[in-house]
Amino acid sequence: MVNIEFDSSWKEPFLERIEKDGPWASWEMYQLALEAAQHLAVPDFDGLQAPKHLPHLTPLPHQLEVARQVVEQMNGKAILADEVGLGKTIEAGLILKEYMIRGLVKKVLILVPASLVSQWVAELNEKFFIPAVAQKKSYVWEQCDVVVSSIDTAKKSPHREIIYEQQYDMVIIDEAHKLKNNKTKNYEFVQNLKKKFCLLLTATPIQNRIEEIFHLVSLLKPGHLGNASYFAETYGKTRSLQTDEHLKALVNKVMIRNRRIDTGIEWSKRHVETVIIEFSKEERELYEAVQSLKADETFLKHQFSLITMLREVCSSREALYLTLKNMMGKYNGEMPPYMEELIEKINSVTVNSKAKKALELIQRINDKVIIFTEYRATQLYLQWFLQQNGISSVPFRGGFKRGKKDWMKDLFKNRVQVLIATEAGGEGINLQFCHHVINYDLPWNPMRLEQRIGRVHRLGQTNDVRIYNFAVKDTVEEHILKLLYDKIRLFERVVGELDDILAKLNMNNFDDYLQDIFFRSRNEREMKIKMENLTAMIDFADQIAKGEQYAAR
Amino acid sequence: MQQDEIQQFLKRYFRAHECDIVEDYDEYLTVQLSIELDKELMNRPFYWHYIERTGGVPAPMKLTLITKQTEKTRTLKGERLHFGSPRLHQIFQSAQRRGGYIRLYEQAHAEPQASIPLHPWLGLNVKISYQCDRKKEQLLSLGLHLISGGIVEQFHEKLQHLSLTPKIPDYCFTISPIIKPISGIGRLEKYIQQIIERDDHTWAEEAIARWREDMALLDHFYEEMDEKPECYYIEKEALEEQYKPKITVSVINGGLFYLQPRSS
Repeated sequence: MVNIEFDSSWKEPFLERIEKDGPWASWEMYQLALEAAQHLAVPDFDGLQAPKHLPHLTPLPHQLEVARQVVEQMNGKAILADEVGLGKTIEAGLILKEYMIRGLVKKVLILVPASLVSQWVAELNEKFFIPAVAQKKSYVWEQCDVVVSSIDTAKKSPHREIIYEQQYDMVIIDEAHKLKNNKTKNYEFVQNLKKKFCLLLTATPIQNRIEEIFHLVSLLKPGHLGNASYFAETYGKTRSLQTDEHLKALVNKVMIRNRRIDTGIEWSKRHVETVIIEFSKEERELYEAVQSLKADETFLKHQFSLITMLREVCSSREALYLTLKNMMGKYNGEMPPYMEELIEKINSVTVNSKAKKALELIQRINDKVIIFTEYRATQLYLQWFLQQNGISSVPFRGGFKRGKKDWMKDLFKNRVQVLIATEAGGEGINLQFCHHVINYDLPWNPMRLEQRIGRVHRLGQTNDVRIYNFAVKDTVEEHILKLLYDKIRLFERVVGELDDILAKLNMNNFDDYLQDIFFRSRNEREMKIKMENLTAMIDFADQIAKGEQYAAR
Repeated sequence: MQQDEIQQFLKRYFRAHECDIVEDYDEYLTVQLSIELDKELMNRPFYWHYIERTGGVPAPMKLTLITKQTEKTRTLKGERLHFGSPRLHQIFQSAQRRGGYIRLYEQAHAEPQASIPLHPWLGLNVKISYQCDRKKEQLLSLGLHLISGGIVEQFHEKLQHLSLTPKIPDYCFTISPIIKPISGIGRLEKYIQQIIERDDHTWAEEAIARWREDMALLDHFYEEMDEKPECYYIEKEALEEQYKPKITVSVINGGLFYLQPRSS
């Protein structure tokens, strides 16, 4: 028999009132109290209460279904793995609200990337009326019930110790794919957290290896996929979730993944435009000077930097200069002859053809624009260059503190036309209010490109999104764009599709693979053939993916 | 809870606490709060501390609560209320806090020469919570006749058909309880326990099964380790908190009711 506990807190004051002849409530007050209790009572184990409490929020059908499934079938422990932009935060908010209404959850820890802290706090307060607080002072851990923090802060002393003393009813972790490696401090920190109810949010539950899902699931529900040795033995050779039905079924018990195509939501369109830029004579000379280093014997030990340097020339002379400066630091006074020549060539470059093009485009668009670049030097240069031409902009970097990021986002939203972001800034801000993206230079990992676009092309984006890809003619850039990205139709794909394809190829490090192609090919022809092989492989994986989809129907 | 119900509830709540409803429209209310409710709802302890210390003239706030969105309320300054908004929940809490204890007499029409005896009843409205990793609540209203020990269900509903008053009516007299209120509470608790025991407890058995299943997985996960790491024990504790079924009974409100004897 289940233990019955009688709450005795009502009794004493009652007896006291009999003794003192009051005070008593009026009949109306008494009835109101009971009615309030009736309104708040949860009549059934099943079903969702949260939507009744949130009349101004209209969750999408798939979001409601996720919340229902997590509460009714997954016992409140789940990996929410919808594709980018389907509203995982809304799903998590619904689930949290449901548990709070039912009185099952009071104390909550929410760990998110630093750049997302204030966004989570705002969404929980505004959309869900959950009084979430950003962790800024250490007393917050103890005094506030719903705390949002970055994992990097939380895992450090003295926070770590204080957190371990708290009795959390629910732990929510955003961008949980960062916990795929069980050897990291973050993993260990989360593993030692008491997780009564727990949600792990990630758009990419498996990025490279099948073990990643093992570690993620083991954090949530240790033993669900067996122990480490059992897993290695049974699934060690499995290349992807799709190929092992048994494993897939097991994982699906703790993970929900909605795909864009399944949701039936109308998304705004993507328009992609390639903008080919011609180098000026000086820029071309600089590029060629760098390229000729491939044969230079004194450069041998820097061979690996060559591709990076070529990409830098395509971005800005400033970017290249910074790299050269770092290299020079390593020579003790004795500079190899090519160095001087390069510096000279840098000095003779007077215009940045790409920046000129960007300026033209921004003026023509006459609306908010985000520029992504891989290099900080380029970011600084662009900001200066646009300023010279009467266009104000704000920078955005991963390294910015939380407050600064919010401030920059606000400035961009309300005051300035352009936001210039470096790669690390691509993750974790939502900029639906903007729908023009300039890829000033292209990252070599298609997933990173996807994340960039995902900043603006997400639920809530009402306009068609326009993407401008810059590439300099007859350079590595043009090759990568034409030979790879265009061939695999990267920009036309829906969010998440590529994710699956790369998982199928089990391609650990796309960047390195490309680097290798560019670097080891002896001539253009060989490079082209290698690139064609690569695109053929991606195509092939794509076909398999499509075939599986048909078979599943 | 519909928006109309919310408005009705608000009006009754404020009137019951003697606050003037200054503006009363279909789509919104403006209420002049009493000092008491200002202190309870507006969360400005420093102001009240200051007024009390300096002997200043207290100025309790006005509160505008909008329950319907119309052209008229679009630009109106006020709080928009719906089921789920923190303000409404605060008022629910306040209502529960302020309506916890009662003593009433039935309004009987007695003549001087034939006075009417009123029998004591203990009335309790309780909430039973069934909790594991999920939760269900059930409300129960019971009345205990403090003379005979007889117990009546749906007691509150029955009370609503009577005319009740806080003062003993003329020519009525109360009969002293044979069962003391404190032991009356004990009897009702026992009665509730019996109701619960007769219930279907499949939910608890299922929760225990889920608990065992997860526990077995956990043991398997760490089976190769002779000495279990700390996180094993943390996880074990978490599973218990998550799944262990428990039932709690709490009193919403209750009190003494002096009623005319009835044949039923």
